[in-house]
Amino acid sequence: MSVDANLAATAAQAPADKAGKLKMSGNGVNVFYGDKQALFDVDLNIYKNQVISLIGPSGCGKSTFLRCLNRMNDTIDVCKVTGKIVLDEQDIYDKNIDVVELRARVGMVFQKPNPFPKSIYENVAYGPRIHGMTRSKDELDDLVTSSLRRAGLWEEVKDRLDQPGTGLSGGQQQRLCIARAIATQPEVLLMDEPCSALDPIATAIIEELIDELRANFTIVIVTHSMQQAARVSQKTAFFHLGKLIEEGPTDQIFTNPINKKTQDYITGRIG
Amino acid sequence: MATPDNEHIVTSYEDELTSLTRAISEMGGMVEVAITNATQALIRVDHELAKQTANGDKRVDDMQRLIDEQAVSMIARRQPMAGDLRHIVSAIHVANDLERIGDIAKNLSRRTLHIDSQRVSKQLYNGVRHMSDLSLQQVKRALDAFTARDSKIAIDVCRRDDEVDSLYISLFREFLTYMMEDPRNITDCTHLLFCAKNLERAGDHATNIAEAAYYLETGGNLYNDIESGKVSLG
Amino acid sequence: MQGWFFVLILVLTAGALFYVGRSRAVSAVGGDSTLLHSKPGFHGAFVMICGIVPAVLVFFTWLLFSRYLTNAFVASQLGADFANLATIEQQALMRNMRSFANRTDLSALGAIEVNAVEAYRSFVANTALALQAVVAVLVIVGSWFAVRAISKDLRARQIVEKTVMVVLIAASGVAILTTLGIVLSLIFESIHFFQKVNFLDFLFGTHWSPQSAFEGVGEEATGRNSEVFGAIPVFAGTLLITAIAILVAAPIGLMSAIYLSDYASPKLRATAKPILEVLAGIPTVVYGFFAALTVAPFFRNTGEAVGISVSSESALAAGLVMGIMIIPFVSSLSDDVINAVPQSLRDGSAGLGATKSETIRRVILPAALPGIVSALMLAISRAIGETMIVVMAAGLSANMTVNPLEAVTTVTVQIVTLLVGDQEFDSAKTLAAFALGLVLFCVTLLLNVIALRVIQKYREQYD
Ligand SMILES: Nc1ncnc2c1ncn2[C@@H]1O[C@H](COP(=O)(O)OP(=O)(O)O)[C@@H](O)[C@H]1O
Ligand SMILES: [Mg+2]
Repeated sequence: MSVDANLAATAAQAPADKAGKLKMSGNGVNVFYGDKQALFDVDLNIYKNQVISLIGPSGCGKSTFLRCLNRMNDTIDVCKVTGKIVLDEQDIYDKNIDVVELRARVGMVFQKPNPFPKSIYENVAYGPRIHGMTRSKDELDDLVTSSLRRAGLWEEVKDRLDQPGTGLSGGQQQRLCIARAIATQPEVLLMDEPCSALDPIATAIIEELIDELRANFTIVIVTHSMQQAARVSQKTAFFHLGKLIEEGPTDQIFTNPINKKTQDYITGRIG
Repeated sequence: MATPDNEHIVTSYEDELTSLTRAISEMGGMVEVAITNATQALIRVDHELAKQTANGDKRVDDMQRLIDEQAVSMIARRQPMAGDLRHIVSAIHVANDLERIGDIAKNLSRRTLHIDSQRVSKQLYNGVRHMSDLSLQQVKRALDAFTARDSKIAIDVCRRDDEVDSLYISLFREFLTYMMEDPRNITDCTHLLFCAKNLERAGDHATNIAEAAYYLETGGNLYNDIESGKVSLG
Repeated sequence: MQGWFFVLILVLTAGALFYVGRSRAVSAVGGDSTLLHSKPGFHGAFVMICGIVPAVLVFFTWLLFSRYLTNAFVASQLGADFANLATIEQQALMRNMRSFANRTDLSALGAIEVNAVEAYRSFVANTALALQAVVAVLVIVGSWFAVRAISKDLRARQIVEKTVMVVLIAASGVAILTTLGIVLSLIFESIHFFQKVNFLDFLFGTHWSPQSAFEGVGEEATGRNSEVFGAIPVFAGTLLITAIAILVAAPIGLMSAIYLSDYASPKLRATAKPILEVLAGIPTVVYGFFAALTVAPFFRNTGEAVGISVSSESALAAGLVMGIMIIPFVSSLSDDVINAVPQSLRDGSAGLGATKSETIRRVILPAALPGIVSALMLAISRAIGETMIVVMAAGLSANMTVNPLEAVTTVTVQIVTLLVGDQEFDSAKTLAAFALGLVLFCVTLLLNVIALRVIQKYREQYD
């Protein structure tokens, strides 16, 4: 029996160890909105080709941390970030970093599907156009097609690429947003509650997609669904009141969390 | 450490968890009585009590099925996590072990019916009674460890399993001696030897329960932890 | 005085009826108002409606028709004396009768007038009494039936809601009927005009000088008038000035809207926006003399300095100032619609690495386009309808030109000049104003329809 248990434990940790190259990391990250501190001294490592999920009650700073990773917080005037966030050994808050390029490398998918009020094609072509990523129309076509394919949307929309993206169903819209994000060929994909507005089938499709995307991307996903975190991620980090309480392999967090707060949160008790 | 002493936000979930624990306690009580009665029947060669005990096992089986159903339904409806998940999974394990102990009580009772009351000398029974007391004690303590979520008791139960084992080995030698002394004892001694073996198995199930209790509280595997030196039996 | 008294009585009665209905409803269920189908207040309103509405309707109907009834009564009293008078004299008699009704000294009047005044007085006194009686009876009977109808199960709520709906329908009906009335009167007067002047000559004629219109009838008049009432120069002037105004207002307004909504801090926005809106509150006559006394001379002097002849009243000056005037229409409305574009679209674009200006150009503006177009439409309508600035800065001469440095005139200015002065009301000159109005109306209508179509076609829906 003990041998079996050992085997199981090794199996669970295997992907974590194999993919173990550090992609991004936050060191002592503090975030302030004006006088209000939203994140306290967060240290978190994000490994290549892994899915890491951030969980925690509303307002605990998950989105804030996520938005630090591609400097989306820059768009909020009152927001101030201290500490160090590194992408491939490069400090992304360094003065020499080009935010535009950073955001092309660290893509983002939002909670509510937010396709632009343009055609499906234009939605996906948006990023490549902005970054001048393609040399010809054919190349752009190929990129759009392959992005839609990878987002698992191609079959459903290939006949109506010129129709507005806003006319799709919620799940399709979210996949369109994922296609739009991967069209800029990012290395890291940030997803802020990508399924919270979707039905179970659409959710399952996106979870399957996340699993496939893991081969090429590093994915950070914020979710309110414990089950979803358990299903899609290899690592899980639990935030509470702006602090990173616990992080570890998803298996361990969901069967045997070390911290009492984590336990109380994921089992649905008053913390 | 990770004891969920906080109430669940969903009270009906909390109630279901409590009722699961209560069902385990109740089943434990039934099994303890069954073992006690079976031993009594064996020692006093009371066929009536033996029959009663053997028939009573059906209730234990029903109880196990009930606990299984409850647990499956909770897993399906509540998607338990962490401590709750361990609680439900270990409840299934414990119920399974208790059912097996119940089977052992039934087995003892059945054997009692085959033993001829006139011929067996009383001294043969002392060892079996001792064995029964010790195993029963183990089962009780293991259940205590489970309901109280006390890993210390659980470790203690595991440690004491060796005592049960050595008692069985000494009983085995004793019966062997009796059989060599007088071949007419062979039938009864064989029966009693099986009884002792069964009681030793009950002790093993008690350690299983203790392991479940340890897992429930710590999330770890007791034997792994002993091997890796996290826990010492000494 | 009497009117106020009437309103006071009305309010008091209404309050009393409401109270009666309410308490009646409560007592109908023995004080437990939860048993009622409708809340007691609805019962109160029900009784109030039944009591007041018929009475008020009768009262206003009387007000509408009393004039004719009075005239008919007086006429019948005077008999043949009255019938023998000419129409104009009859009308004068009726006017005098009314104005003398309140005087005691009737010595200045002739016999027939005195008779008329007396008939009038007695009629008014009697009918006033009768009216009061009828109204009182209606109130009493109506509310009595309503009170009787009150019971536990009376669906007073539905009745009250229905009444509310009818009132609302009536209100919107008034607005629609008024518009319809205006359009119809425009059409009728224009038909009169087009009997004098050929429709096509008016629409496509290139010469506009109504001063030289020929009054009278016959071949000569028609031929002459067809030559002087060519509307094209007037419309060309309108278009020229409007185009200049939009060319000024659209970029400035739009850009300031973009600045306000996406770049300015909230505090700056909160102060800058009202200040911009003050521009809309400046009386147009002030803009007018600003244009005539400051801008136009400035252009003329500048023109002289570089050797271009600029007339002292130029389309450019008027259009420029008009453009400034309509900036707030464009900027304020566009700012609102740009702000209404969801933040999630901005985030989505920024998340893909777009800069702020790329986001605005490629996402925000297309999404806000319908709103921006309607803001521009509103500004255009305002510009087309503007009169004062043009009168003061662009002049009155109907030149057909696209040169913004020359004097031009606009439709509205011509309408004003045609109607000011003491022409016969049915002369071709006066009627031309209606025709101009009608065509202007059609043009703006057409513009609106086109804009709606454009919006429908190119709108990028974002929800
Ligand atoms: N734009 C903002 N301005 C001020 N405070 C903010 C802003 N965004 C988030 N916060 C605050 O920061 C804290 C963390 O928010 P957030 O990261 O959105 O939480 P989560 O995504 O975990 O629900 C909250 O207390 C919230 O009130
Ligand atoms: Mg959030």
